[in-house]
Amino acid sequence: MLRLIGQRLLAMVPLLLIVSVLTFSFTALLPSDPVDLIIGDRGSEEQYQMIRERLGLNEPFVTRYVTWLGQAVQGDLGTSFFNSVRVTDAVMLRMPATLSLTFASVLISVVVGLGAGVAAALRPRSWIDRLATVGATIGQAVPNFWFGLILASVFAVSLRWFPATGYVRLAEDPAGWLRSITLPALALGLSTSAAIARQVRSAMVGVLQQDYIRAARAQGLPARRVIFRHALKNALVPVVTVLSFQITVLLGGALIVEQVFAINGIGSLAVAAVRQQDIPMIQGIVLVLVLVVMAVQLATDVLYGLINPKARPA
Amino acid sequence: MKLSHVRPSTLAVVIPSVAVLATLLICALFAEWLAPYDPLQQNLMDMLQGPSAEHWLGTDDLGRDVLSRMIHGSRIAVIAAAEATGLAVLIGVPVGLFIGYRGGWWDWVTMRLVEAIVSIPGIMVAIVIIAILGTGLHRAMFALGILYSTAFLRLARSVVLTEREEVYVRSARVIGASPSRILVRHIFLNIAPPLIVQVTLTVGAVLLAEAGLSFIGIGVQPPQASWGTMLNTAAAYMELNAFLAVPPGLAIVATVLSVNLLGDVLRDSIGRGIRLPEATPVHVPASAPARSRSSEPMTPRADDALLVDGLTVTVSPKGGQPVPVVTDMSFRIGRGETLGLVGESGSGKTVTGLALMGLIGAGGRIAGGRVLLDGTDLLSLPASGLEAARGSDIAMVFQDPTTSLNPAFTVGSQIAEVLRVKQGLSRRAARDRTVELIDRVGIPRPAERADAYPHELSGGMAQRIAIARALSCGPKLLIADEPTTALDVTVQQEILDLFRDLQDDFGMAMLFVTHDLAVAADICDRIAVMYCGEIVETASVDRLFSHPRHPYTSGLLSAMPHGASGTPPLPVIPGTVPPPGSWPPGCRFASRCAHADAACAAPVPLTTAEVPGQQVRCVHAAALTLEAAQ
Amino acid sequence: MTFAIRKLAYSTFAAAALFVLPATADPAGTFRFAEQAKLITMDPHNHSGGGFSYLRPVYESLFDRNPDGDIVPVLADSYQVDGRTVTITLKPGITFSDGTDLTADLAARNLNRVIELGVNAGVKLAEKAEATGPDQITLTLKSPDPSIIDALSGTAGMMVSAAALDDPALDRNPVGTGPYVYSPEESREGELRVYTPAPGYRDPEAQGLARIEISEIPDNTARLNALKTGQVDLAIFLSSPQAAIVDRTPGLKLLRQPGGTTYHLSVLDREGTQVPAFADPRVRMAMNYAIDREAFSKAVEFGLSTPATQPYAEGLWAYDPALEGRYAYDLDKAKALMQEAGYAEGFEFTMPSIPIFASRLEAVAGFLKEINVTMNIQTVEPGTLARRSRTTDFPATNLVWNNAIDPKFVTTYYVAEDAVFNPFRIKPDPKLTELSEAGLAIADEAGRAPIYREMLGRLAEESYMIFITTTPILFGASDAVATNETVQFRPGTDTPYFAGIRLGN
Repeated sequence: MLRLIGQRLLAMVPLLLIVSVLTFSFTALLPSDPVDLIIGDRGSEEQYQMIRERLGLNEPFVTRYVTWLGQAVQGDLGTSFFNSVRVTDAVMLRMPATLSLTFASVLISVVVGLGAGVAAALRPRSWIDRLATVGATIGQAVPNFWFGLILASVFAVSLRWFPATGYVRLAEDPAGWLRSITLPALALGLSTSAAIARQVRSAMVGVLQQDYIRAARAQGLPARRVIFRHALKNALVPVVTVLSFQITVLLGGALIVEQVFAINGIGSLAVAAVRQQDIPMIQGIVLVLVLVVMAVQLATDVLYGLINPKARPA
Repeated sequence: MKLSHVRPSTLAVVIPSVAVLATLLICALFAEWLAPYDPLQQNLMDMLQGPSAEHWLGTDDLGRDVLSRMIHGSRIAVIAAAEATGLAVLIGVPVGLFIGYRGGWWDWVTMRLVEAIVSIPGIMVAIVIIAILGTGLHRAMFALGILYSTAFLRLARSVVLTEREEVYVRSARVIGASPSRILVRHIFLNIAPPLIVQVTLTVGAVLLAEAGLSFIGIGVQPPQASWGTMLNTAAAYMELNAFLAVPPGLAIVATVLSVNLLGDVLRDSIGRGIRLPEATPVHVPASAPARSRSSEPMTPRADDALLVDGLTVTVSPKGGQPVPVVTDMSFRIGRGETLGLVGESGSGKTVTGLALMGLIGAGGRIAGGRVLLDGTDLLSLPASGLEAARGSDIAMVFQDPTTSLNPAFTVGSQIAEVLRVKQGLSRRAARDRTVELIDRVGIPRPAERADAYPHELSGGMAQRIAIARALSCGPKLLIADEPTTALDVTVQQEILDLFRDLQDDFGMAMLFVTHDLAVAADICDRIAVMYCGEIVETASVDRLFSHPRHPYTSGLLSAMPHGASGTPPLPVIPGTVPPPGSWPPGCRFASRCAHADAACAAPVPLTTAEVPGQQVRCVHAAALTLEAAQ
Repeated sequence: MTFAIRKLAYSTFAAAALFVLPATADPAGTFRFAEQAKLITMDPHNHSGGGFSYLRPVYESLFDRNPDGDIVPVLADSYQVDGRTVTITLKPGITFSDGTDLTADLAARNLNRVIELGVNAGVKLAEKAEATGPDQITLTLKSPDPSIIDALSGTAGMMVSAAALDDPALDRNPVGTGPYVYSPEESREGELRVYTPAPGYRDPEAQGLARIEISEIPDNTARLNALKTGQVDLAIFLSSPQAAIVDRTPGLKLLRQPGGTTYHLSVLDREGTQVPAFADPRVRMAMNYAIDREAFSKAVEFGLSTPATQPYAEGLWAYDPALEGRYAYDLDKAKALMQEAGYAEGFEFTMPSIPIFASRLEAVAGFLKEINVTMNIQTVEPGTLARRSRTTDFPATNLVWNNAIDPKFVTTYYVAEDAVFNPFRIKPDPKLTELSEAGLAIADEAGRAPIYREMLGRLAEESYMIFITTTPILFGASDAVATNETVQFRPGTDTPYFAGIRLGN
């Protein structure tokens, strides 16, 4: 297992390098001169040159990249163009909200997806199967932010069970955190729940027809045990694959759902940074998001190895 | 795909989906004529109204007609989907084709770039591209086009990689066609089906992404009416008029749903070839299952380990009448005795084994009969009683050891689990017993092997494990369903020897299901020959081989390979086995039997032949002279 | 010309503004305020507008306005204006929260920094400042400026400690002379700013709060919810559906403060370089007549604003009652004018927009459509609208006019040939220039008012500034805060006076 983790970590290095080159070079494509944006048109030529100098914009591209990368490796993603806020601090401050939302929706997706998928697979063609299948198909067609609006309008505005906006930090008030995260996570988790339900159903239907399930039953093991131990562990394999692929979808979706619930996460930071063309901020956000994606994919790889012995390196 | 091949449930999906998309297209094309109002015509005094006769879907924050904006919004949706998907195809496919064909550095560099882009959340990629290009419908769709082109790129590349190894491409290259012509003529044809499927997936994704980007204000810009911008407005006025969010939301859901559903249907029909019929079409005459019992009931005897009496099993195909697959099944196995159940595939022998365990799959049903295990009727037991009996009193070994062991658990844990559940052993005791059992079935270094996963063992080894598991609770009856068929010839004999050895040791009765008379002869005391769901002859091994009384048995014996000479079996029985549901009411072998006559048209019971213990189901049994084994 | 010396001897204007204070002096309670603007910088001299509240607990200006709208000295003790020379005497013994003293040298350094940075339009006419005595600075102007003291009552007059001026991260580490200090440790970037009482502040009575929290909540609904759920006690609102909801929510009050902002269009290309029709005043008048301001303020601004045809609202000294109703909605007249000008078939132009203006512009586009004028809306990045309006990228623009600023800025912003928002460099009517100059030459409002009324009247005839509505400054407040008499608002700005607020009984 350690070897697998080591291999995966090693494989991440080139990918991260490419992402860093990509994010660093796309900013060179930005149409406007960041210095113009910073000083507006009130600045003199001297001021202009001074700011360019301070931001290191007069250095050649490669020098700038190497400097930036060298600092990034040490956890310093630079400073915003528009104030003295350090990008690392800003991203780390916003990350908990986005990660809370993302992982809460992963949890919801797994629970709902597994539940619906297993229930459907156990009784193919029953009403519960049809309900789950129809639900999953519709679930994948519903825009997460619209679902969020509907949830907010019903459960927050009308019923007042949950807050309509805002994010409470976990350390501050765990119960408040749970309440603040519930509706957004439900909205975000819908389509992933649907994807997992579909995957679990088809995997379970396949697994339940396997000889080893029949063999386990033939040994007189209780049906419940056979389904939830023997079948589910095998059906989980594709679920883990789906999750590792869905994590980018969920993180991306979180950026939009955050706006519905006015959560101060990476989403509003990213939109503001893009509007201001705050280059270091955009670079930092993209890089950190990719790191999160990679960490999750590493975790799912490990998980995959745990539940699927065949995937382990010999 | 011909319409006649499409199942009604597929049509139920296709028709509404096509209807939704057609409506969308019509709205997009004829928005000016269909919309009751100008979508930008405001009436500030009539703002935020609910649905009314004048405004079917109400009015928005500037008193504009929501229905008209919806209709004009469908045009945006169509343009958005067409632009982004078209661009994705136009960028992705040629690049994918090129790098797939060229390979080398081009391929390596491009694929690393694609991996990098794919590892960034898609919306973030779109946001960044929009930062460069600016907002607005066309620019946002350009961003999405670039984003989704990676999917087409990978698809095109993988198709090229597969196809360019195909012989015809190579031959075309030899003839001297230019690489581009090879690409165009050969590869492009093969790319069409997955491409169409990917296009439907992309269209759905684009519609959702466009709505999302417009919602956060960096996609389509007001006053242009897109469903996403309408939702953006609705979000601001949620507390004043929540209904505003409903029409655009539903429109997005309906459109994406229709596209996705059509995509599913397309994927099913062209992705995996033409849809296969769900089951062999079986037209069952209503009278067919009538004959369920024709032989004399059997009487239990004290030395019976198992008595099966008049067992009938039916299977209901989807939406059809139940079809009998096993009928009038009666046999007995004495304590410590081995009965071979021999027949061709489809004769119902495996179903019989599963029926004894109460494990016939969904749609199967035991329609009658008794199964007495040590005097207890298993069929009359409640589900829990049957479950308790399985493993403890009656166990089964399956044909393919590599699939009958769960790949996700170590083999040891699979045996130990049975011991702990069935016998209540502690974790440690179960482990010790497991190692003992693994040792007993002849596997060296048992403690080490207990921790192996099934895929780490050879087939023979795995089957030994399966046998150890089956015997772990000391059952009275072991059903072995073709336990050697999936194994190498050299291993087969070892496993048969193991069965014999274990039977001496454990003293259980065995039902040995096989299609191979030679194997049966090796291990069994008696043999029951099955044909079309019923036993046609039962006798001791010697008697059966020397004096077969049923023409089918005789035919099987003739088809056996001759000793060690390895001569292939001779196809001496003409015709094919009729499938369940098309069995004649009389002798089921009659259509292939050289001796058949009018008397064979009536149901035939299993009757005792001249020697006790030999039973045969043939009206002419006494009169025929049949070929015996050589 | 010499102005009378006004010796004003309040200890602090805030104390003067307050009513009877409870005897208890210990700071108590947390006052939670919600800003709609995000904090860009806490460097007052680089501050370009929006979110002044973040600065107010920490910084004090040389002058301030009291709740009645009068200018009162704060860090200054007195001032004297003599033509181009402004002499300011500092109040003795002022210390910064870092313990250092406010000296005349440092005050001059602060003012020179403001002038050099050039961010603050209010000191455009200032040339340099120098210390001319232990407690005295002299500010030299390029030309007389009757509103210079007004400018020094805002961010331009805020004094920053010497150490903080040298700190490159001044934008997040403010050090001022105010009653509270900023606590970066407890604050969360982009979410919450926390302030605690400044140790050794000269007037402990003004430090009534143990803690001030200013939340950054740009989302209208979120700000409303924060107010509803009691997460904040007071919140700024723009005219929005959410402000209308505050108005009708039990337990909350919508406070309308005098002053406010006047939303207007401005035709930039009035010689018709890009859009020939704009050269014809009749077309511009037609556009002015085509807008139904009553409907606009009722629908787009939820009845929270009032129709406007001039830059000042009723009650302000530059307001001209004669201009009231000058461009009352008259579609027939508008169509007739278009016909007369030869544009009955209409024309097309593009207008820049930012998200908060989107619904206003959508409504304007709807009105103009009635006279066949097609107005395309192009969204630009928020924060860049003013900048883009200084270029010839667009033939027209839309902005808000702050009623609190001096009418002289009408000229410097819109009218003069080198005005900020005159990118096509169009020479104004000589009479307008003449009136502008006359307005600068007189110091007192009563004398200036008729001059500016005449100027605004002439502007209305040219009709290139199309004023639409004036929105008062709106605050949503909990009932407790709405009835708390220690909570006072600075006229014409969207900030309460944090000094002097007390919570509880």
